[in-house]
Amino acid sequence: MSDRSQNQRDVLRSHLSFFDLVRVGGSGLKTRKLRSALSATGIMIGIAALVGVLGLSSSGSADLIKELDALGTNLLRVEAGGGFRNSPTSLPADAVFMIERITPVYEVATVSSIPGAVYRNDLISDGRTQGISIKATDLNLLATQRGSLQAGVYLDDVLAQFPAVVLGSVAAQRLEISELLTPKQIWLGNNWFRVVGILNPLPLAADLDRAALIGYGIAEDLFDYDGIAEVIYVRADPNHILDVREVMAATVNPEFPEEVQVSRTSDVLEARAATRNTFTNLFVGLGAVALLVGAIGIANVMVIAVIERRNEIGLRRALGATRFHVGAQFLIEALVLSGIGGLAGIVLGLIITAVYATFREWSILIPEYAVFGGMLGSLVIGGIAGLYPALRAANMSPTEALRTS
Amino acid sequence: MTHEKSNIRYAVELRQVDKIYPGTPPVAALSDVSFSVVHGEFVGIVGASGSGKSTLLHVIGTLTQPTNGDVFIDSINTNGLSDRALSGLRAKSVGFVFQEFFLLPGFSAVQNVANGLLYSGVSSAEREERAKAMLDRVGLAHRMEHRPNEMSGGEQQRVAIARALVHDPAFVLADEPSGNLDSQNTSAVMDLFTKLNQDGTTIILITHDLEVAQISTRQVTLKDGRIEGHPDMLSGVVHE
Ligand SMILES: Nc1ncnc2c1ncn2[C@@H]1O[C@H](COP(=O)(O)OP(=O)(O)OP(=O)(O)O)[C@@H](O)[C@H]1O
Ligand SMILES: [Mg+2]
Repeated sequence: MSDRSQNQRDVLRSHLSFFDLVRVGGSGLKTRKLRSALSATGIMIGIAALVGVLGLSSSGSADLIKELDALGTNLLRVEAGGGFRNSPTSLPADAVFMIERITPVYEVATVSSIPGAVYRNDLISDGRTQGISIKATDLNLLATQRGSLQAGVYLDDVLAQFPAVVLGSVAAQRLEISELLTPKQIWLGNNWFRVVGILNPLPLAADLDRAALIGYGIAEDLFDYDGIAEVIYVRADPNHILDVREVMAATVNPEFPEEVQVSRTSDVLEARAATRNTFTNLFVGLGAVALLVGAIGIANVMVIAVIERRNEIGLRRALGATRFHVGAQFLIEALVLSGIGGLAGIVLGLIITAVYATFREWSILIPEYAVFGGMLGSLVIGGIAGLYPALRAANMSPTEALRTS
Repeated sequence: MTHEKSNIRYAVELRQVDKIYPGTPPVAALSDVSFSVVHGEFVGIVGASGSGKSTLLHVIGTLTQPTNGDVFIDSINTNGLSDRALSGLRAKSVGFVFQEFFLLPGFSAVQNVANGLLYSGVSSAEREERAKAMLDRVGLAHRMEHRPNEMSGGEQQRVAIARALVHDPAFVLADEPSGNLDSQNTSAVMDLFTKLNQDGTTIILITHDLEVAQISTRQVTLKDGRIEGHPDMLSGVVHE
C-alpha cells in the first residue's frame, strides 16, 4: 500500500521546467508593453543615476588622483602674513637657510615679486598691465613645482644674469605669444627681455601662471632686488610632511612664528575632490529615492496584474499549475521588469558618463561594481517588489480566481 | 482505497460529498452527493441557477475540496493530497472547458492549446506538435496562428476544447460551454462533443439548459445541492 502511494505521488506531480517558467513569466509582459515599460522607468532612472554618478565621480577623481600623484602632496608654501603687527611684514632674510636645515626637506625654491609692468612692446606701455606680474625666482622652481615647458627652455645659471624671461601659461596667452620659433621680445619693467620659455599651467601655484619669471641676477642688476624671498616653496619627505609643516613657522621666524603662513599647495586640489564627493553623495541619494519609487511602481503594477489576471491564474491552476508555479510566474515577471529597467539604466548611465567625461576631457573610468551592483540591485529590488504580488497570486483560491464578474 | 466493485474503473466517483461554504448562515452547496462516471460516458448534469452545478464541477475538478466525503479521480482518492499532487492530477487527468473560454489574449490558438500540456512535463516541441494535431481534430487547422480576438466565439470555444483534450485526460469537465454562444455555434460545439465522445472521450457536461443536456447519454439532475432521480441513474455502471 505504501509502495503504491509512493508510486502515485510520483505520477501525481505537476511539472514546469525552469526554462518554461521563465518563458511564462516573461510572456505576461508582452500584452502590456506600454505599462511594463513605464513601470520599469523608475528603476531605469535610479540605476542610471547611480551608474552615472559612480562612473563620473571615478572618471573625474581618477584624473584628480592622477594629477595629485604626479604633483605630489608634499609641497609647502611659506610666506609672510597673518601677524598681529600692523606693519607690512616679510620673511626673515635667513629663512631659506633655516628651512634647509630641517632634515626631511628635499628642495627649496623662492619667488619674489618685482615691481613693474609687462607689455608686448614699448609702444603700448600705457598702463594696461594685463594683470601680468614680474617675479624673480630660483632656477629649481620648475623642478620643485613638477612643472613642464610648453616651449623653449627654463632659466639657467647664465640666462638668470641676462634679460631673459620665462612666461607662465596665462601670461603667454595674454601677450599673444604661443611659440618661440622666431625670437620674441617683451617690454618688462621698462627693459627689453627676450622670451626664452613658456610654461605649462602649474596646478600647485596658479599665481605663477600669470607671471613673467626672471632670474635673481638680472633682478638685482636692473630692479634693485633686496634679496629677501617673498614666497618659499618647500618639497619635503611625504612621510614627514606634517611634521615639517608643524615646525616650519617657528623655524623660519622663531621670534614671531605667527607672522609666517604655511600651506600645503595640494590641499586645494584635494578640496576639489572632496567637493565632488559631496555631489556624488547627493546624487547617490537621489538615485536611491528613484529606485524606491521604481520599486513601488513595480509592486503597484504587479498587484494590479494579479487582480486583472485573476482568471488567468484560475485557468493555470485548472491546467495543473501549482501554487508555486503561479507565484514564481509573477515573481519572475517582476524580476524581468526590474531587470529590463536595470539594464536600460546601466546603458543610460554609461552613455551619460561617456558623454560627460568626453566633454570634460576626463579619461572614462567606469567601476565594475557600478555595473554589476546596478544589475544585482535592480534584481533584488524587483524581487522585493514582486514578492507580495507573487504570494497573493499563489494563495488565491482557484475557484475564486475562476469567478467572473 | 478499497472498491466494492473492484473490477470497474471509474473516471470519477463521488461518495457522500458535502460542500458547505462557511458564513452566516453557512451555505450547503452540495449535500450527500454520490455518483460516478465510467470511462467513455457522456454525462449531463442539469439544474437551476444556484443548484450547485459549478460547485460540483469544482469539486470533481479538484479545484476545491469537499467538506465531507471522498472524490476519486481515475481511482485515486484525492482526500489529503498535497497541492502539488492535486495539480499534477489535474494536469494529467482533467480537462476543463469554461463558459468564458479563458483563452490567453496575445497568444495564438496553437500556443493556447499547448498550454494544456504546459504543466505535465512535456517538451515544448511536443506540446506544439500535439496542439496542432488537436486543433486539426476540432476543425481549426486553418486558425492555428490566430489570436483569440481574431476568432468567433464558437471558434474560441473549440480552441478551449482542444486545450482541454490535448493532454488526453481521463475526462473533460465542461461548465456551461455554450453559455456565451449563439444557437448556431452552440450546435457546432455540441456536435463536436458528440463526435469526441464517440471517439472515446469521457465528458461531463454541466448546464442549466435541458435541451443542450439532451445530447448527453445520461442526465443527472441537481436541485438545492442534492442529486435527484432514480438511484440507478446515479451510476454509469447500471446505465451501461
Ligand atoms: N464562495 C461561496 N461562498 C458562499 N456561498 C457560495 C459560494 N459559491 C457558491 N455559493 C453558493 O452555493 C450555491 C451553489 O452555487 P453554484 O455556483 O455552485 O451554483 P450554480 O448551479 O453553478 O449556479 P449558476 O447556474 O447560476 O452558475 C449558491 O447558493 C451560491 O450562492
Ligand atoms: Mg455556475
